[in-house]
Formats: sequence, structure tokens, C-alpha cells
Amino acid sequence: MKLPLTSLNNGETGTITSTDVNSNRDPMCRHQRRKDRKQEFTTERCIKRLTDLGLTPGTEITVIQAAPFNGPLEITVRGSRLAIGRGMANKIFVDVKR
Amino acid sequence: MRVNHFTIALAGNANVGKSVIFNQLTGLHQHIGNWPGKTVEKAEGTLHFKGYTIEIVDLPGIYSLSTYSIEELVSREYIATQKPDVVINVLDASLLERNLFFTLQLLELETPLIVVLNQIDLAKKKGIVIDYEKAEKILGVPVVSTVAVSGKGIYEMIERAIEVIEKKRKIEPLKPQYGKEIEERIEKLVKLINKFNLNYPARWAAIKLLDEDREVEKEFLKLNPKIIAVTKELRTELENIHGHSCPTVVTSERYQVASRISKEIQKITDPLKTPMREKLHTITTNKVFGYPIMFATILAVFVGIFSFGDFSSTLLGDFFFSLRPTFDSIFGIGLIGELLWGGIIEGIIGGITVALPYILPFYFMLYLFEDSGYLSRIAFLMDNLMHKMGLHGKAFIPVMLSFGCNVPGCLGCRIMETTRERLLTAFVVTLVPCAATSVVILGLVGAFVGIEWALALYIINLIIIFTLGRIAFKALPGEPTELIMEMSDYRAPHLKTVTKQTWFRLKEFIIMAFPLIIAGSFVIKIAEIANLLEPISSIFSPITVAWLGLPAVTGIALIFGVLRKELTLIMLATLLGTTNFALVLTPAQMVVFTLVVMLYIPCIATVGALVKEFGWKKALTITTFEIVFALIVGGIIIRLLTIFPI
Repeated sequence: MKLPLTSLNNGETGTITSTDVNSNRDPMCRHQRRKDRKQEFTTERCIKRLTDLGLTPGTEITVIQAAPFNGPLEITVRGSRLAIGRGMANKIFVDVKR
Repeated sequence: MRVNHFTIALAGNANVGKSVIFNQLTGLHQHIGNWPGKTVEKAEGTLHFKGYTIEIVDLPGIYSLSTYSIEELVSREYIATQKPDVVINVLDASLLERNLFFTLQLLELETPLIVVLNQIDLAKKKGIVIDYEKAEKILGVPVVSTVAVSGKGIYEMIERAIEVIEKKRKIEPLKPQYGKEIEERIEKLVKLINKFNLNYPARWAAIKLLDEDREVEKEFLKLNPKIIAVTKELRTELENIHGHSCPTVVTSERYQVASRISKEIQKITDPLKTPMREKLHTITTNKVFGYPIMFATILAVFVGIFSFGDFSSTLLGDFFFSLRPTFDSIFGIGLIGELLWGGIIEGIIGGITVALPYILPFYFMLYLFEDSGYLSRIAFLMDNLMHKMGLHGKAFIPVMLSFGCNVPGCLGCRIMETTRERLLTAFVVTLVPCAATSVVILGLVGAFVGIEWALALYIINLIIIFTLGRIAFKALPGEPTELIMEMSDYRAPHLKTVTKQTWFRLKEFIIMAFPLIIAGSFVIKIAEIANLLEPISSIFSPITVAWLGLPAVTGIALIFGVLRKELTLIMLATLLGTTNFALVLTPAQMVVFTLVVMLYIPCIATVGALVKEFGWKKALTITTFEIVFALIVGGIIIRLLTIFPI
């Protein structure tokens, strides 16, 4: 099942399928992209950062918990612990076996 | 290069203990400044070792050599153009995969390299055993293990580094290989690039072109636009083959190499029980306990610093002012003596009584929290709240600092990733009531109107901060950067490193703020001696008296407040001839006066910090806005308080 990272339960592990702006299925996002070149650049940079931190397609990622009040997600990937803002986490798609 | 005179650069991820190694190597021979034209910290130091003089440069902690942050750009430019004699790549031995990803990029830059596996004691505790010989064989460069905090392995590290510089042993560094499809295209690009005389290897440039690196792209656009056209074609081909964007494919394959190497050189066995630091992490980020713990910790720090600060500040002040008779006996009580004491000495005293009792402990606590890892947990918990004003969790740190003093708050905005966010955070920061403002709030409104009114002022201030922050966020162009932050394991802070960071920050504060405070007091003293204060306050009386409904002398007090905000209270007492403000001011006047003091201008040192970080134009815009805004709000509140009296 392909889901955005934010839909995972605490402690659930998935395999990243895409972190690309292009393969992002969220229509809202594409709409915004057309609206503003600069925005696309920001998202692109964030995705570069995420892949540099090891969130590449095919990598296993575990959601540990979400900070209260719709806060960021705590995840572990390749043995390191990261905090990722919710908006960004929405753009990471993972394959989960349920 | 002079004989026996080398340059070594330290490079690596954040939180790997790089600055500890830097401190172990350079001791007191350090210089902390900025990279030319950048607001990125540059730490340099000198090491004398067996007759060698070695310049050590500590590069910022980064995860990649791309263009995500200014830090990454600075680092790779330094390595590519300054060409240090050797780069010491510091790795966290317990996070090999991600750290090796960075090592591979250094290898691609073909810089002389040695690899240091740090914190092996912690790795061992985590059940990680590393085969160093194998690591050395695979990477083709010397591999040394260290425990930086205790100094273990540091000596060997330097010896091996010198060996590399003097080429005593033949080394064949690994050339990371990508998949066939990428390698073919790298080769094609290398053939095109080879004829240019570049600062860096052609292969690296080719990889970076496929990686959509904007800086390298720009350079080739100038050299030969055809190369960019070819690159774009090749990228499309790769994207079609792999189904992901080209940078993702390149990064992905590089990670595969890192992953393979790390699997080959380490064995992991799970530790038997959950270690203490994990339990600590769980509880400090827990949704029930996380916030109470955080608030209690911050509150304890603030109460501690303020009570210590108040006590020692008075003590210091009393001591300095007791020197006045001695001073007078040397310089006489004439004009020059007056000018020297009132203009310069009092400025210095003012600076010292803020810097030592308040700023020093503040910085110390900040670095203690940062080094231990708690700061990132606070950012994690506060991310959502900071989003309400368009910032993310990390911005909470400069904001928190500002409750002590706005100057470190402004300088602390550097932890934000983009210029836009730095500016936005700085704007919010200058609205936060600092320790000096709190003195006025508590000493005037708290003491003479009631503590509930003091509290109300804080709440009004917070509302204003959120509203203005939100408006500024909407008004400034660009999209907010989301929080992407590592939460490294908790560890015992390294006191020597913390102390040193505190000292350098304090020094920075003194160098920046003191001249401004002194020059400011000097100018005001001259105005006072020339009897200009009265005329100036009468010029301001349409604002102070007519609009704000305050006595005319408050104009003078507000002018002094530009130096340091608590001076408004001290001046008010002097000018009104009493410390019992209830006799001369109505409660409403006190509330409005305090409100204006809270908002009206970042003090001169803060303006200096803004200029340093953002330039004159932005600093003046923020300052002017806040003066006008404070006066408008003050005028409205006094009218409301006339209708609904206190």
C-alpha cells in the first residue's frame, strides 16, 4: 500500500517509493508549482536535503512518533534519528505492508 | 608552502565531535571569525607538533557537499580552491552509513584524506564492532579510531595526517563507482569537460552536473553552454531509465555504495538493554511529559540566571561606582572628568553589568543544552507553535535566547537555513522582552500597578509577536522551509568545548556591543552637558505628552533607553526625583510607558547586531517600524485605559 509518511502509525516501517516533486501525486502540490517557480526550488532543495540524509527510494524508514499538536515526525532511517516537518513528510511516499 | 608548515581541514557531519577534536588540537590558539562575506562561522587554530606548524581549519558540520545550505557551499569552495594539505574526515562510528556518504563525496573531490572514526566507545556500547584494517583497504586512505572527549587516538591521527601530507606511504584512494548507466554518462561529460582548466576534478564536476548542482551549472554556462545542453539530455535519459529525478538517482546510488561499505566493515549486535540515553530521549519527547519537562527546565534556567544575574549585577555595579571618588581625585570634577566618567566609564560599566551576569550564563546554558542534544528536542516539541508564525522549530532557540538579551538572539538566527527565515526570526526576536525590559516591566508596572498587569503586558507582547510574525511571514516572499533536523543521541556535554564556545560568543558580544554602548552614552552625555536634553524632550512632547499622555521628561528617559532599556527606569527616577513612581505617574501612564519601552526600539547593541547580520537597510527598516508601531499601540492603549480606568 502506497501512503504518505504522515499516514503511518507510530512504530510502523515502510519502504520509500518516492521523494520527488515530479512523482508526487498530490494535485495541490502541482498546482502550487505552476504558481511559483521559487516555491518549486524550495521544495526541490528540501528533497535534496532529505535524500542527502539518506531518504532515498528503496530505503526503509520507521516512524517513531509524531510531536503533539500535529507537530513534526520523529523517524529513523539508516540508523539515524531525524525530525521532519509535517508538510515535508506529506511529500514522502512509502510502501507499507498491512 | 613553507617547509613544515601545513594546513589541515576538519570536515564531517554535524554532531560527530568535530569541534571537540578541534579543541583538543588547538587548545587556546584559536581564532573564531566569519568566512569572508558569509555569516558562517570559521574556526581556525594553530597546532605545533614535532616541529611542524599546522593550521587547523574546522569546517562547518554538514551532511553533503551540495548546495543546500551556505555551510555546504563554503566547505566545498574551501576544499576545492584553498586546497588544504589534507582533510581529516571525522565520522561518527555508530552512524557509519550516513557518515560514509559524506566521505564518498570527499573522495570524489580527490582531496588528500584521512578518515577518523570518532566516538568508538559509544559505538561499542551500541554493539557495533568495526574492522579498521578492512575499512582502510576498501577506502584506500588511512583510517584512525578516536575517542575525542578523552583525547584517545588524536596523536595517532595527526601522525597519520602528516604521513599523508609528506607522501611517506603510497595510498590509492577509492574512486566510488556508480551503476553502469550513470558511469557511461559521467564518462561522456568528462570527455567534454576535460579540456577546461578547473579548480576541481573533471569527474567530480561531471557527477555534480548530473546531480543538478546549480553552482557548477552556472560555471559551465559561462564556459560552454553546449555542455549544459548535453547534460540536460543525459539527465532525461537517466530519469527515464530509473523513474526518479536525476539528483535522486545519483544520491541513491552513492548511498548504495556507502551502505555496502558499512556492511562490510562493521558488525552489529543489539545491546541487551535499552540504554539510559534512549530512555531519556523517550521521556523528553513524550507527548505527556515532554512539555512539562521542557517548561520546567527553561524556567529553572531563567530563574537561575535572573536571580544570579540580579545579584552579581548589583554587586559589580556597586563595586564600579565605588571607584568614582578615586576617579574624581585623578581627573578632577571638571568637564573632562564628567565627560569621561559619564560618557565612557558608565558605558563600560553598563556593558559589563549586562555581559557578565546575564549574557555569560545564558550562552553557557545554551551550549550546554546544544552539546548534550536537548536543544534539538526542544525544537522538535516547539515546531508546531513556531509554524504559527511561519517559522519552524529551530527558531524557538533564538527566541528563547532573546528573553535574556536580544543580541545573542539576533546572532542566533544563523541556525536558520535561509536568509528569509533568518530575517523573519530576527524580526520576531527584536520584539521579545529581554532581561532589561523585564526589569522595567517588573520594577514599574509589577511593583506599582500590580503583578497581574505585568503579566498582562507579557501576554499582550506575545500576542503582538505572533500577529506581527504572521503578517511578516505573509508579506515576505518565498515559501517556508520545513524542519529537517537530526536528533543525535544524548551525550554528556564536553565542558571544555562548551566553555570555549561560551567564551568566543561572549567576546563577539563585547566587540560588537561595547563600542556602540560607549559611543551612545558619550553622545547622550554631551547632549546632557550642553543642556540639550530639555529642548529635545520638548520637541518630542507632541508625541509623549499629547499622543501618549505621559509627562514630558519621559522623552529623555526613552532616549536613554536606546542604550539599554533598563536605563529608562533609572533615568525616570533621576528626572522625577523619586523612586516612588506612584507619586508622579498614574497607573495608566506606567502601563503605557512600559509598553512603549517594550516595543519601541531594539536597543543600540541589538541594532548593531541586526546591521552586522542583515545590513543597514533592513536594520533601519525594522527599527523604524518598531518605533512607529510602539507609539501607535501606546497611544491606543492610553485612550482605552482612559475609558476603562485601572
